[in-house]
Amino acid sequence: MKRPKLLEQVLKSLVSKPATVQFPREKTEVEPDFRGLQYADLTKCTGCSLCSIECPADAIKMTSIPQEYEAPKTNPRRLYPLINYGKCVYCYRCVKVCPTNAYIVSNKFDLAGFTRLTSEQFSLSTLKKVGA
Amino acid sequence: MAVEMDKHSLLESFSIGKGVVKPNRKVYIVEPGSIKKIFHALIEKYGYESFYLSTLIGTDLKDEGKIRLDYYVILLPEEETIVLRTHLPRENPVIDSIIDILPGALAGELETHDLLGVVFNGNPFLKRGAFVPSDLVEKGVYPLRKDSGV
Amino acid sequence: MSKVVEIPIVTTEVPIGPQHPALHEPIMLKVYAEGERVVRVEINTGYNHRGIEKLCEKNSFYRDIFIVGRVCGICNAVHANVYVRALEQILDLYPNKRAQYLRVLAMELERIHSHMLINAVMAEIIGFETLFMHIMLDREKVMKAKEILTGGRVMADYMMVGGVRRDIDEEKRSRLRDILLKLKPRVEYYKKIFEEDETITKRLIDVSRISYRDVTSHGLVGPVARASGVKIDSRASDKYDAYGEIPFNVVTRNEGDSWARMMVRWDEVLESIEMGLYILEHLPSDGNPVPDEKRLPRKFPPGEAYTRVEAPRGELTYYVMSDGKGQNPYRVKIRTPSVNNIINSGFMYLEHSLADVPVILASLDPCISCMERVTVVDLEKKTSYKVHLKDLAGGRV
Repeated sequence: MKRPKLLEQVLKSLVSKPATVQFPREKTEVEPDFRGLQYADLTKCTGCSLCSIECPADAIKMTSIPQEYEAPKTNPRRLYPLINYGKCVYCYRCVKVCPTNAYIVSNKFDLAGFTRLTSEQFSLSTLKKVGA
Repeated sequence: MAVEMDKHSLLESFSIGKGVVKPNRKVYIVEPGSIKKIFHALIEKYGYESFYLSTLIGTDLKDEGKIRLDYYVILLPEEETIVLRTHLPRENPVIDSIIDILPGALAGELETHDLLGVVFNGNPFLKRGAFVPSDLVEKGVYPLRKDSGV
Repeated sequence: MSKVVEIPIVTTEVPIGPQHPALHEPIMLKVYAEGERVVRVEINTGYNHRGIEKLCEKNSFYRDIFIVGRVCGICNAVHANVYVRALEQILDLYPNKRAQYLRVLAMELERIHSHMLINAVMAEIIGFETLFMHIMLDREKVMKAKEILTGGRVMADYMMVGGVRRDIDEEKRSRLRDILLKLKPRVEYYKKIFEEDETITKRLIDVSRISYRDVTSHGLVGPVARASGVKIDSRASDKYDAYGEIPFNVVTRNEGDSWARMMVRWDEVLESIEMGLYILEHLPSDGNPVPDEKRLPRKFPPGEAYTRVEAPRGELTYYVMSDGKGQNPYRVKIRTPSVNNIINSGFMYLEHSLADVPVILASLDPCISCMERVTVVDLEKKTSYKVHLKDLAGGRV
């Protein structure tokens, strides 16, 4: 019986460099349009809550913008979507249904850390502080 | 093709109504009592090789006071999907099991029993709590019934 | 009157699972063996249940698209596709040609990586871990292709009512083609190994041979059925999406044993690669395949739809009923191929040796998370031996 040359393959893999990526030390290459972390640009957001209603994972909670930030006039209720990234499934339904296209998307995926990550920092950084 | 027509006329002889489920699946509405007869006739006439039972779907029609059972059967070798639809009273949903002539019905019958409380007479494997968590079983709740409160 | 002498037969109960090195997902096979010979199998499930059908009734039509995608990780695109097509039937809204082709491309990529995965797992289960590693390395190429196409390595979230959720450009098209062309010789090579290597053939050939009649009477679907010569393939019969226009062969074999089931999968991978290349070559450009999700109809008319799709594991069906009153579907019924293939498969283990049990289970390509929205306990129909057993093995139960 003729055997396939599996041994040759094995030896080749033995001398070639490892196929695995040493993740935290080495960066994994992802596509530029990979569905990664997303957050709302509050200069565009009108606080309409549609993303929160449509979110299949209930990861988005409409929260009021803190007093020290200047909310745009188009957002009279001073609400913004606070995404809990631990719950988010990255389906981008919020991005697609947003009537003002307020969402900023990225391909950032390495979200593990010691603190619970939400979109608070990212979203509020798009606004100016009062008096600043 | 001639055989194909025969299967449909066989089904038609049992049906008391007709309908269609999108896309283009023929529905034969039948009496609950004739389900077993239909499968028996199909096996007798065309053999086990001529069809398979794809799905058994139970739906709680609360407003009409009925539970609807749909047997989705795929006719081979053309792979045409047909539906045998029957209605059971909601208070006392009992129907004859077909597991003794068609073992492929096991999964569907067990599931429908556990979720909707349909009793399949003659199925020795029926069991509550196979699917539903034990606290709901103790309450006697069937989760897919619309008034179950689950 | 002659006296009946009963010779006691010692039956050993061997629980395999729910946590077991040979199993990758939580299922419990209670195997009863006389010596090495399996005489009875109970399939116990219920370790992974989530109640997705009820969840679907409690969420809106559009949210359900993403919920059903999470029934199963490996075959998420087909789940979303079949649900979305049911909604399209209710709405009478159909996608354009380009969207249909892209949907098929996503589903075929999924079939390639799913089949490669189960073949790799089979190699691992029989102790051939080198082959497992090699196949998994090449499978990574397909995952990359899926990432390029859909934006997610595993979770595609690619289907939307009226189309798909992102388009591809020329650059992506050529990258996808490169990946498929690179993959093809590798798959041919693995197929050859499965055909010729003694480690594999000795463990798989003649294990759990099932006949045409057993397949149809037990409602087995997918590669399991096709390996026994039952030519069922909803791609060919329903011709949904673009399958009516893309040429492909329905792979069948007549051996009906575990080996044939694996070989059907390899041949299907090769078919899928060809289909993928055809799609990339002939991708129509009749407009934008991406619907504007803000403008999709919010109101669903009353109606019911029953759609079928050929998932990697076999025929997957969804029944969606809308009563036209609210935002939520009235009933969603999911019947995954694994329900039929695992729960009704108790008869396949009988008369084989204990060591064959994981092989037989792996040859069915069990997907427990798919199955476990519906948890069922199967008690094989027998308590006293011999006569009934023969009946079982003959498929007369």
